[in-house]
Amino acid sequence: MILRRSAENLPRSVKVIRRTAPSCKVLHHPSQLAAYDCDALSFKHFTPEAVVIPENVDQLVAVVKGLAGAGIPFQPRGAGTSLSGGPVAAQGGVILHLSRFRTIEQIDKENRLAVVQPGVVLSDLEKAVKPLGLYYPPDPSTGPVCTLGGNVASNSGGVHCFRYGVTGNYVLGVETLLLDGSLVRFGGPAGGRGDWRDDWKRLFIGSEGTLGIFTRFWLRLIPRPEKVWTLRATYRDLRSASLAIQKLATHPSFPAAIEFMDPRCVELVENSSMRVGLPKGSFMILTEIDGPAVLVDRRLKSIADLLQQCGSEDVAFADVESERLALWKARKALGGLLGKITPNFLVQDAVIPKAVLGEMLEFLYQEADAAGVGVATIMHAGDGNLHPNFLFDARRPGELEKVEKIGSKIMLKVSELGGTLSGEHGIGNDKSPYIEDHFGPLASAMQMAIPNVFNPQHQLNPLKVFPQRKFVA
Amino acid sequence: MSQGPSQTLTNVSSAVDPLRACVHCGLCLEACPTYRLTGDENNSPRGRLLLWRAIDEGRLQADTYTDFYTDECVGCLACESVCPADVPYGHNLEIQRQRQVEAERAHLDWRVRAAGVAVKSPAIFNLALAPARLLRSLSLLPHPMVFKGRPALLKSTAEYAADLVAKFNPTGPKVAFLTGCLMEALFREINFATVRVLVENGVRVVVPRGQGCCGAFHEHTGMSGAAELSVTNQQVFRAADVERVVTNSAGCGFALQKALAGDPPVQDVLGFLGTLDVKRQQEREGLYKVYVDLPCHLVHGQKVDGIPDSVLDATGYRWELAPYARDCCGSGGVYNLQKPKNARHILKSKAAFLEKVPKDIVPIVATSNHVCMMQWNTAKTFIRRRFEVRHIVQLLDPASSFDST
Repeated sequence: MILRRSAENLPRSVKVIRRTAPSCKVLHHPSQLAAYDCDALSFKHFTPEAVVIPENVDQLVAVVKGLAGAGIPFQPRGAGTSLSGGPVAAQGGVILHLSRFRTIEQIDKENRLAVVQPGVVLSDLEKAVKPLGLYYPPDPSTGPVCTLGGNVASNSGGVHCFRYGVTGNYVLGVETLLLDGSLVRFGGPAGGRGDWRDDWKRLFIGSEGTLGIFTRFWLRLIPRPEKVWTLRATYRDLRSASLAIQKLATHPSFPAAIEFMDPRCVELVENSSMRVGLPKGSFMILTEIDGPAVLVDRRLKSIADLLQQCGSEDVAFADVESERLALWKARKALGGLLGKITPNFLVQDAVIPKAVLGEMLEFLYQEADAAGVGVATIMHAGDGNLHPNFLFDARRPGELEKVEKIGSKIMLKVSELGGTLSGEHGIGNDKSPYIEDHFGPLASAMQMAIPNVFNPQHQLNPLKVFPQRKFVA
Repeated sequence: MSQGPSQTLTNVSSAVDPLRACVHCGLCLEACPTYRLTGDENNSPRGRLLLWRAIDEGRLQADTYTDFYTDECVGCLACESVCPADVPYGHNLEIQRQRQVEAERAHLDWRVRAAGVAVKSPAIFNLALAPARLLRSLSLLPHPMVFKGRPALLKSTAEYAADLVAKFNPTGPKVAFLTGCLMEALFREINFATVRVLVENGVRVVVPRGQGCCGAFHEHTGMSGAAELSVTNQQVFRAADVERVVTNSAGCGFALQKALAGDPPVQDVLGFLGTLDVKRQQEREGLYKVYVDLPCHLVHGQKVDGIPDSVLDATGYRWELAPYARDCCGSGGVYNLQKPKNARHILKSKAAFLEKVPKDIVPIVATSNHVCMMQWNTAKTFIRRRFEVRHIVQLLDPASSFDST
């Protein structure tokens, strides 16, 4: 790029990077930093001092050594689709954008594993393994763009993790760059059975960029299910829908996914051009069973009967791809519809025990209605992973504050009901204010012990997960 | 419990303005050729929207950096196809480019500026390019973007269509044909082929006099003139008494669709042929295989699914979609003139498959937009094997066979 500022006006971080990694691409003009001042939590802005886009590990190592030595905070970033304010410069400093690390280094069909760089896009991995009859199950809805680095850092889930588990279940090993510039491997191609010592790689899964910077993963692949049946049912009341969720979750066919949409979501879809004819005021359940054709075909009837016996009058099911997608349509359309009707939305992802769904929904509606804020709720119901979407316009004075206030009440309620703060989006700096209350002082202090080993001064991704993680140079 | 919908769901602004419709989810990133190329988020749709919004709200000044990222966009609109919130990205881009021109901040190549003025007068443009037509028909125009062909030197498509209709007297649907600027001035043989295929399929095709440039050129570059051209084309095509206008260039078709706003409807000629029982050409023997590339302004601009299988089958060739057929080839109207390096990189990754096609097959890259054909033709400078570039309508036209070019 031909555009440069005169050297004397350059921020210190840029001078450091130019010295230690002269060939590395650096962005530092205010107009170049704008796109990096937030993630998909788009109404909270943190402008970095600079952004680097390294081409390879050598450049990355040089940059990290330079910044670490110069006492400048920095944080890794992938596609920036996270919803928790994770890969943002909460304390300024430098963003390391790993968008060039997009090589799938190896797919080992015999040993059913993939070796990938952290900037590989999730759906590119899926496209690569599918023709080989292999399957990488974690499927967050940003799959077409999100990167595996972000997935591992926030231990992403998705629709099918009720049966298949989250990203952490598929990480055999991580290679990570530590603050001193050393590359360390935890686990590896044979990491699926646990190590002979403590399972260190687990510490890095879900660490949200607070321990090291990922440079490579060994990921477990499994045989692709031969056949999938998708079933959809609606219920007039929450009691029946909850019963269906409970029965599905304990059914011996072990559904791959159990999804829930509240009547407000149904209303949104049915009032839009994406309408599919769901009864207004109904609760929608979607479920899938997969496996060998002969097995799932036999199990279909029992699942359909179950949905009906719980009170549904419109159980629909399909095994043909196009028809299955039609059943998914209302659920898949929702994210876009929210985008169309609101300038901003805040989605939370607390996990609650399934038995308290009714109480939680009631609480959500009361709080949102009282504040005059729109809310529409979906849930990865098998895991109790609730996703209330609050719709607002951050440019209207007071709206963001109202939404944040509801958010904090919900966090407290979730803790009170025995839930967790985040099922898959991570804590970032959005939910960090609640973490001490949630865990209590002792458990919080113990959790802090881990970043204290790898990143004692919090130079790497400061002010994330724990609010006290402030970097002091 | 309050299960029902509350009015608070509709309390938020229902008409979000085009620049603010983006919720920054990032689902556009991987659809964007310049983000994939550079890994720089400023060089992505959501990054650019954020920059434009910041300028609009006075948080940033337009400067060489914001101009750079606006200029970097190919304008392929692939981001619109994946956007869950239906952000009108192309509309925003056009406005930003107009503003750049108005503020004299646009970095337009002199050839682009000259062409922008010239295409406003089709007669002069056609006359000025007559020598180029002649040289091209003699294969003496050695430019990497100029693909092979033998355009008529003097006879216009309008005259040719009138002659054919008078001779064969088709009785099917009556359509008007947009002949385009560069298509008529330099690549006229494709217009002739289009007319032949339409008449052969019983279509009464007319070429209304006085039609102007579709305006795509001005939309791409931000140069003024698109509005006046729209008015001219509205008058000409509405007076033509036809059921629709067909175009053979996806970019021109998209611009004309916007200009005519459904009165009358505008359709790509291949989509239109798909609505007829299109005459099937005889099966071709094994030497050639067609790789269909879908123009961005067909699938992402006009938002049609693709080119009907029935039409592709009717060519008589073995065919399949080219790998990444829905991704941009880097042509982007005049992008390959403005940003040749980027355009070449984008094409290189798309064209790589040609090296892997078995040696006993001659691949034909076929599409339905002349600027895409020009861009694909430049791949001959780095793909070290024989391949051909054709318009799909030429594959439906026996007179356009390879022996006759």
